[in-house]
Order: sequence, then C-alpha cells, then structure tokens
Amino acid sequence: MESAEPEPSGSRPEEEEEEDEEEDEEEDGALLPPEQPAAAVRMEDCLAKKMEITVSEAEKRTGRNAMNIQETYTAYLIETRAVESQSEGQCAPVESLWRRYSEFELLRNYLSVTYPHIVVPPLPEKRADFVWHKLSADNMDPDFVERRRIGLENFLLRVASHPVLCQDKIFYSFLTQEGGWKEMVNETGFQLKADSRLKALNATFRVKNPDKRFTELKHYSDELQSVISHLLRVRARVADRLYGVYKVHGNYGRVFSEWSAIEKEMGDGLQSAGHHMDVYAASIDDILEEEEHYADQLKEYLFYAEALRAVCRKHELMQYDLEMAAQDLTSKKQQCEELATGTVRTFSLKGMTSKLFGQETPEQREAKIKVLEEQIQEGEEQLKSKNLEGRDFVKSAWADIERFKEQKNHDLKEALISYAVMQISMCKKGIQVWTNAKECFSKM
Amino acid sequence: MSGGAASAPKPLPSSGPKSLREMPHPLATSSSEEMGPALTPSPDLLLPRSIADKDLSLPNGTPVDTSSPASSSSLLNRLQLDDDLDVETRDLFVTVDDPKKHVCTMETYITYRVTTKTTRAEFDLPEYSVRRRYQDFDWLRNKLEESQPTHLIPPLPEKFVVKGVVDRFSEEFVETRRKALDKFLKRITDHPVLSFNEHFNVFLTAKDLNAYKKQGMALLSKMGESVKYVTGGYKLRSRPLEFAAIGDYLDTFSLKLGTIDRIAQRIIKEQLEYLVELREYGPVYSTWGGLEVELSEPLEGVSACIGNCCTALEELSEDMTEDFLPVLREYILYAESMKNVLKKRDQVQAEYEAKLEAVALKKEDRPKVPTDVEKCQDRVECFNADLKADMERWQNNKRQDFRQLLMGMADKNIQYYEKCLTAWESIIPLLQDKPETK
Repeated sequence: MESAEPEPSGSRPEEEEEEDEEEDEEEDGALLPPEQPAAAVRMEDCLAKKMEITVSEAEKRTGRNAMNIQETYTAYLIETRAVESQSEGQCAPVESLWRRYSEFELLRNYLSVTYPHIVVPPLPEKRADFVWHKLSADNMDPDFVERRRIGLENFLLRVASHPVLCQDKIFYSFLTQEGGWKEMVNETGFQLKADSRLKALNATFRVKNPDKRFTELKHYSDELQSVISHLLRVRARVADRLYGVYKVHGNYGRVFSEWSAIEKEMGDGLQSAGHHMDVYAASIDDILEEEEHYADQLKEYLFYAEALRAVCRKHELMQYDLEMAAQDLTSKKQQCEELATGTVRTFSLKGMTSKLFGQETPEQREAKIKVLEEQIQEGEEQLKSKNLEGRDFVKSAWADIERFKEQKNHDLKEALISYAVMQISMCKKGIQVWTNAKECFSKM
Repeated sequence: MSGGAASAPKPLPSSGPKSLREMPHPLATSSSEEMGPALTPSPDLLLPRSIADKDLSLPNGTPVDTSSPASSSSLLNRLQLDDDLDVETRDLFVTVDDPKKHVCTMETYITYRVTTKTTRAEFDLPEYSVRRRYQDFDWLRNKLEESQPTHLIPPLPEKFVVKGVVDRFSEEFVETRRKALDKFLKRITDHPVLSFNEHFNVFLTAKDLNAYKKQGMALLSKMGESVKYVTGGYKLRSRPLEFAAIGDYLDTFSLKLGTIDRIAQRIIKEQLEYLVELREYGPVYSTWGGLEVELSEPLEGVSACIGNCCTALEELSEDMTEDFLPVLREYILYAESMKNVLKKRDQVQAEYEAKLEAVALKKEDRPKVPTDVEKCQDRVECFNADLKADMERWQNNKRQDFRQLLMGMADKNIQYYEKCLTAWESIIPLLQDKPETK
C-alpha cells in the first residue's frame, strides 16, 4: 500500500510501502544535525541596524596564490562602524579590513551549507555577463570593478539584515577579523556537511512525495531564471542599438558645422544646432551607465532564483532520505517477521539459499532476529528524528521563503519604478535637446 | 518682356538689380519676419495665416485695402521676403491634391488634381481644376527649361524609384510625391517670370493637355522662346568671380546635403534595428508577469509601455523617411540643375567673347560694333541679371525651406519623446500601487 497523502513531512514510517526492488543505494554517513538554527531575530535587532557596513574601495593587488603563481586580483575594503544610540554626536571609530572576492565566495558557501533552509543572498557575478558592446567583459575593467564593489556591499547588507543570518559568528568575523578568518571557517568543517551534487540530483529524480509547495517553487525558480536571463540578454541588445542611434546623431554636429561655413544667414543657427546634436550624442553614455544599475538589480534576482532552487533541492534530498530510511525500516521489519514466523513472503536470495542448503538453526535465527530488532529500533529512532528534522526544515524554510517573496516583490517593484524614472529622465533630456535644436533652426 | 497684370506700372520683374530696399542684408536675421512653424514659402490656400497682429501696409507705406473681398490684398497671406510685394500682391494660387489611381488597359497610373485660383488677366477664368499625371509635370519642366534657360527651374521628384521595394501606388509614396509636385508648382507660382510662362498657363488650364503637347508650338511670348541659346564649341576663359563663387557654393552645398542624406538614412536604419530589439524586449516583461502574482500588473504595465514606445518610434522613422529625405534629395537635384544653368551662362559669355575677339581681329574701322555682337552682349547681360536675381530668390527660399525642414525634424523628435514620456509617466502610479489584501 503506498502512502497516498501529500503529507509535507513525508511518508509515515508505519505504513507499508510497496516493495520495490532492492535499491542499491549508497548511504553516506548520517547527516550531522545542522547548527542550532538561531531563533529569527526581529528587524530592529538585525546586525544591519547596529552596524554600518560599507565596501568602500577596490584596489588592484598582486600576490602569490595557493599554487605559488603570481596573480593579479582585486581587493575590497570593508568598513564597519558601530551605530551608537543617540549619544552626544559621538561616533564610534571606523574599522576596516580588506577581502578579496574568493573570500566572499567562501563565506557564502559556508552560509549556504550551514543554513540550508535559508534563501541565502547571492553574490554579484564572478565574470561580466550580458554585456553590450561598450562594456568590457574584463574583470579588471574599472566599471566592472565598481559595479562589483556595489554588489558586494549589497550582499553584506542583505546578510546583515537577515533575521537569522545576521547572527552568525563567522559572518561577524568576516566583517571584523582580518587575520585567521579562513582557518576559522575551515575549522567549522562545513565542507563535510555539503551535499554532493550527484546525491542531490539523484534525490530530485527519485523522490516520491515532496511537499507540493516546494515542487511548485522549483518550477517557479526555473522559469524565473529563464525569463530574467532572456530579459537581460535582450536588454543588452536594446542598449547596444540605442547607443548606435544616439551616436550617429553626432555626425550631424560635424556636417552642420561644415555647412554653416558656406552660409551667411543660416550659418549661426546651423552651427549652434550642430552643437546640440553633439550634446545629444554624448548624453547616451550616462543614460546607459545608469541603466546598468537596473540590470544589476535584475541580475541579483536571477541569482536569487538559484538560491531558491538550492532550498528546494535540500528539501527533496531530506525527503528522499526520509523515504529511503522508511523503506529500509519497513524491509527490515518484514525480514524480522519472516524469520520469526518462518514464512517467506517475497522472493529473496536468503530464502532461496536456505531452501537449497537447508534451513538455519534456531540459534542462528534467533541471533539474526535480535540483530534485526536492534536495527529496527535504531531505525525507528532515526526515522523519528529525520521526520522531525524534515518538518522543522519545511517550516523554517517556508517561513524564509515567505520573507523572501515579500522582499522580492518589494525590491522588483522598486527596480521597475526606478527604471521608469530613468526612461522619463531620458525622454525629458531628449525633449530638451531637440527643443534647443529647434530654437537654433528657427533662427536660421 | 513683362507679362505684368497689374495696372500700375512696375519695374521688370526679372531684369536689373533689385532696389536696395528689397534686398535683404546678408547678415540680417529674420527675427522681424518671424514665421510660425507651419510655414511654407509658397502661398497655400488651405492654411491662411492670420496677420491680425501685423501692420497691414506694404513695405513702402501704402496701406492695404482689405475692404473689397475681390481685391488682391484680401488674398494676401503674409509678407514674404522674396516677393515684390510693394508692386505686386499675390494673385495666383496653385494646389496639388486628391491623387487618384487610373486603371487602363495599357497601363495603370496616378493623376493629381491641380487647382488654380487667380485674378491675373492671362487667365480667362478665376478658377481652374484639372487633372495631371507625373509625365505632364515632367513635360512642363522640360518646356520651362527650354523656354526660360536663363532661370533656375525647380526640380521634380525623382521619376523612377530606384531604392528598395517601394510600391509606386502605396499611400506613402503617392503622398510624398504629391507634396513634391505641389512644391514644384508653388515655386513656379512664386517666380515673377516663370509664373507668367505660357506653358505654365496651359498646364494649369487646358482640359486636354495632350492635344496641346502634340501641337509642339506655344503662342509666342515676347520673352524666352525666341531666344535660342547656342551651346556648342565656345570655351570660357574664366568665370567671373561672383558666378565662380556661386559654383563653388553649389558644389559644397551638394556635398553637405549628400552627407546629411546619408546620416539621416543611417539614423533611420539604426532606429529600425533598435525597434526590432524593442519588439522582443516588451513581451518578455509580459511573460514574466505571467509567472508572478503581485508583480503581474506592474510587469504587464511595463510591457505595454514599451509597446507604446515602439509605436512612437515607428511613426518617427516613417515621418523622417516620407518628409525629410525627399526634400533633401530635391535640393540636391536642384543644385545639379542650377550648376547646369551656370554652365549655359558660361557658354553664352564665351560666345560673346569669341565673337568680340573675332571682330577686334578683323581690324576693320567700324565705329559701331556689329549688331550680332551687340545681341550677344545683351544676352550675356540678361542671363547674368536673371541668374543673379534667381540666385537671390533661391537663397531666400532655400533658407526658409531648410528652416522649416529642420524645425520639422526637431519637432518630430520632440513628439516622439513626448509620446514615450506620457507612456512612462502613466505607469508610475500603477507601479507604486499597493496590492490589495488578498
């Protein structure tokens, strides 16, 4: 009898499951329990409220990497300052330290593994993607570095304002402790807790009863990724074309100037109109620079989709694990029963060999039963705790997902508004320039 | 010489230098003659401009009589620089409109209605309405070139459509052509000499133009046709400075216009490519909106907004293609035909100089220069005078035409941005809307 109801916490261990063929599953070591998830903190108590955090500078450095090869990289200056409650204009001193991108990556990996039920804020892109022709795809390009600086600061602020993540000690040390941080992170042994990709993939395919909400969320995040990628690609092409339109107008400036040289009355009007055409052509650079910020806001949510996906994967993994444990328990109980009653319900190799080579002695059977009973007991306890873990995970994950949804809706609305504002500004500039040009033409 | 209609005596419209009063100072701005953006250099019956705030008196101080509806002054639209306004008020109005397609067994073609309203004595009736096709206009232009070789004849729109896959019967093409033909006739109407040309008269009035064409002969007018200009064999030693200057000017002018034409085409091309991308961009927001709940309306709003911008851009590109480029090209053609007239002038001068030299070489003791050479001298002087006067007129018209053209271009761009601005401003409240509690 298969468990039918879509119970969020997965199948009940007591219900019999249809026996499939023995799955040849490799079971790794039992999952270590996650770090005691701190109770979520109120917004006012978030680290972000107590501490000013900025990534204020970026600097090119050269150094030797782990393989003792000379390399150039960019280091970012993180400045923090405690926010004093209204004292007489007193300001706490600014503390600062330098970190490079790979350290940010390490931090994020740690957070992802340690808080698998949290939608962990993403980092800005490692390499420039969705570029339009003017932007360099070079990591060392100053514009790229600048936008990355902003992205990293945004990342830190997101973590610092997260009710759970902001309390993490490793995060705090990242912000405040220059030396020895890497070692500290590695000492947590978080890498061991990381689920292998293969395992996760396997679970995704084989899980039978995941929570429907997570399945839906998974589809949503896939589609979100797809649509935002598409949007960013087309936007880059749109920017490229718009650049072309504006720049060609610059040619008017030159030819009007040349033409004005042979004209008497028309000359002045043409000349000054030409100047406005130059202004028009030049204005596109700033306009598109601003639009990059909009693109970055979209990119953040493109990467957030991946974080959502990760939480769904974790659920599937846990659920699958639970299902496997339940299945295993059921089969052990069955074995036990068979041994006890001497009936063979299903075909098993053991059954065959005992038929062929004679039955075991009662003592052997007793021993086996005893072992099985121990295992069953262990199994039942494990199943219980897994069930609990699963339910806790679902509960806390879903709470964070709701929080995330609200944040997403708010942020994206803001992004769309700022985009509209940018377009309005661009239109107004256009009207201004052409009105000026028209004025010049009228004086011809 | 003169085909004047008014009873008051007036100087010959084409010969002799203009009085200083009538010639605008080369450096003068036109601020005192500020015209509205809807200006066309030629009178346009359909858009009479209010002159309520203008002093209704002619430049020489004569008050204008507006009492009688039939008086020529009531047809006065505006003061115009190049008009001999102090002696002649506008008394001839021509319009081209109402294109119609004719499908015959042999061919399909378009005719245009040519409407004339006039008080001139040369016309039997005060009003005429005839239908003409392109080849009729072409015939007229050729006749004018033949009969008024000392004058600058306005250009016609191109005969054949070379570029692209343009449909000769499409609305846009026909409308563009109609405007150009209207311009052509108005320029002739404005011209104090050309407007009195016999062929022009027939073109405007004849019921059966083809019959007239077949005749091959027009009533002789005192000016023009009887004068045959020989173009052959004479080489001019050097062009007089002022005409050389005109030649140089026309060369550079054509060059610059050509460049502007190319730039304008390039802009249109870039705009259309931009449009292609925008057309893909907008719908993606819509797709996204389909995924979302709370963001659904804002995203749809953005999508619709981008759609509106696409429409506005399409209109801008169309306008530029239909209104801007053709006028540029017309002026390039104009400059070309003007250069040819300059060459003809050179020929005439060369002939005169050659004949003069021949006489000098004969070493005959004649107190009087032979009449043959005298006639040549006359011809040169007439040609020079006509050409100078026409150049002056042309420069003024050119200035106004380009002023209007470029202001129009600026206007279209302003309108484009205003449409986009409206679209984006209208969705701000939609984006800021608080979601309803579900």
